[in-house]
Amino acid sequence: MADSLLTIKHLKVSIKSRDGLVNEVTRDVSLEIGEHEFVSLVGPSGCGKTTLLRAASGLRTPTSGNLLFEGKPITDVPPGISIVFQEYNKSLFPWLTIGKNVAMGARDYLPEERGRRVEIALKQVGLSGFATRYPWELSGGMQQRAALARAMVSNPRILMMDEPFASVDALTRNHLEDVVQELWINSNFSALMVTHDVGEAVYLSDRVFVLSSRPSTILAEIKIDLPRPRSQLETRKMLRFVELQAEVLERVEEAGRQSVGIADRD
Amino acid sequence: MTGIGTLRKSRNTLFRISLGWLGLIILAVGWQLAAILINKTIFPSFTTSIVAAVHLVGSSRLVSDILPSVGRTVLGFLISAVIGIAAGVVIGHYETVRNWSGAVIDFLRSLPTPLLVPIAVVVFGLNGKMVIATIVTAAIWPILINTANGTSSIEPTMLDTAKTYGLRGRSLFLRVVLPAASPQIFAGLRVALSVSLVVMVVAEMLGGGSGIGYFISNAQQSFNIKGSYGGVIVLAAMGWIFDTLFLVFERRVLSWQRGTVGGVANG
Repeated sequence: MADSLLTIKHLKVSIKSRDGLVNEVTRDVSLEIGEHEFVSLVGPSGCGKTTLLRAASGLRTPTSGNLLFEGKPITDVPPGISIVFQEYNKSLFPWLTIGKNVAMGARDYLPEERGRRVEIALKQVGLSGFATRYPWELSGGMQQRAALARAMVSNPRILMMDEPFASVDALTRNHLEDVVQELWINSNFSALMVTHDVGEAVYLSDRVFVLSSRPSTILAEIKIDLPRPRSQLETRKMLRFVELQAEVLERVEEAGRQSVGIADRD
Repeated sequence: MTGIGTLRKSRNTLFRISLGWLGLIILAVGWQLAAILINKTIFPSFTTSIVAAVHLVGSSRLVSDILPSVGRTVLGFLISAVIGIAAGVVIGHYETVRNWSGAVIDFLRSLPTPLLVPIAVVVFGLNGKMVIATIVTAAIWPILINTANGTSSIEPTMLDTAKTYGLRGRSLFLRVVLPAASPQIFAGLRVALSVSLVVMVVAEMLGGGSGIGYFISNAQQSFNIKGSYGGVIVLAAMGWIFDTLFLVFERRVLSWQRGTVGGVANG
């Protein structure tokens, strides 16, 4: 308990739709994230993963439940939490250069320190020399790396990622996964990633939580005991990787079948 | 972009510009011919009108009528811009404000501007203030409505991102909402600029006491046909200069937009 960085207890989120109906998205989710852990949330599509992440980060007020970050309740997004969104083209500010976009994440630092941090963050994601470019001048993968640099520049305690690689092609996705893994290995932040890609969750995480379909609860927690650093070629062909992937996939399928059984909600 | 591409592009631009000028020349020649065919006293030729316009600009009318009209248009436009953008951002950002103000705005903006001139005359008198006030009552709407639309259609992800970086209240509006809505705000501003010019003329004609609109209507009533056409040409030039200056300003402010969805390169 003491070294828990983020504690989510009995989190429940209901969304009121336009016609006044109350839609229960998340019913009861509890989990803890420790120091320097990589945790993923996977689940069938439409199970409310994004809503859960928005609530956990403080972007959305939950209907009930407790959220503690470094032992303090979360009201707004605290400075120690950074978020990378799926849609980098809607998240990067198109009127700012890459450098200025990244500097947004370092607003709390003095100007000279800020410039230095922006430079380091861009270098970490392999975008040195692109500071004066505009987002639209970069490829999708590069834009998401810029968003990653912006999230990392403030030296966060937790990096939250919402389907961070869902909008790029498969090869770029592999590359971005390794960029994130390297950042994580070389720093001491914890990561909370939401994804529907089971292989990606297993490849990157220490623990994978499988969410049920709406209204979501935690169906299973699977420990990923693969050695690090992991590599796309070596790790993905290890027997243990294939086993773990199958295990997670089985639980996700299970959750998906349940949802079809109840009603076609999505 | 390669050198050849740039060259081709600039040649294309040159071609397009010269086509535009060619159109103007054809119009002028057509006017000139029509004037020769029709009785000259009620329909002065193009050259006569141009000469009258040049005389007008060279005369004391420049200070007594033309410059006041320019000043009123610019001032009316700027006041509309400040109020329209400020109100539009608030209306667009807060759904509650939008719901409450919708009907009021629709009612106010459907009032025909010439109807408001007598009211403005009663309040301000026959002067420039009245003209400026009338301009604001008309020019504010395209700005306000475009700003509100632009603001309400900002991607939620973008606002989430802003919140993540601690942007709230005024800094949220200045650093994210305004730039994100700026393409639409500029579209509204450009419409408002031409509305300002039109309303300036109408208000001055109806009771400005001075100004280019007042001059044109006076010239017409005293059968100074040449003078009134000269005034019309001065007015057209004024509109063209306003629009050109505005476009230069817009291109500068929205230069980041070139490669994005709304920009030229992809559009």
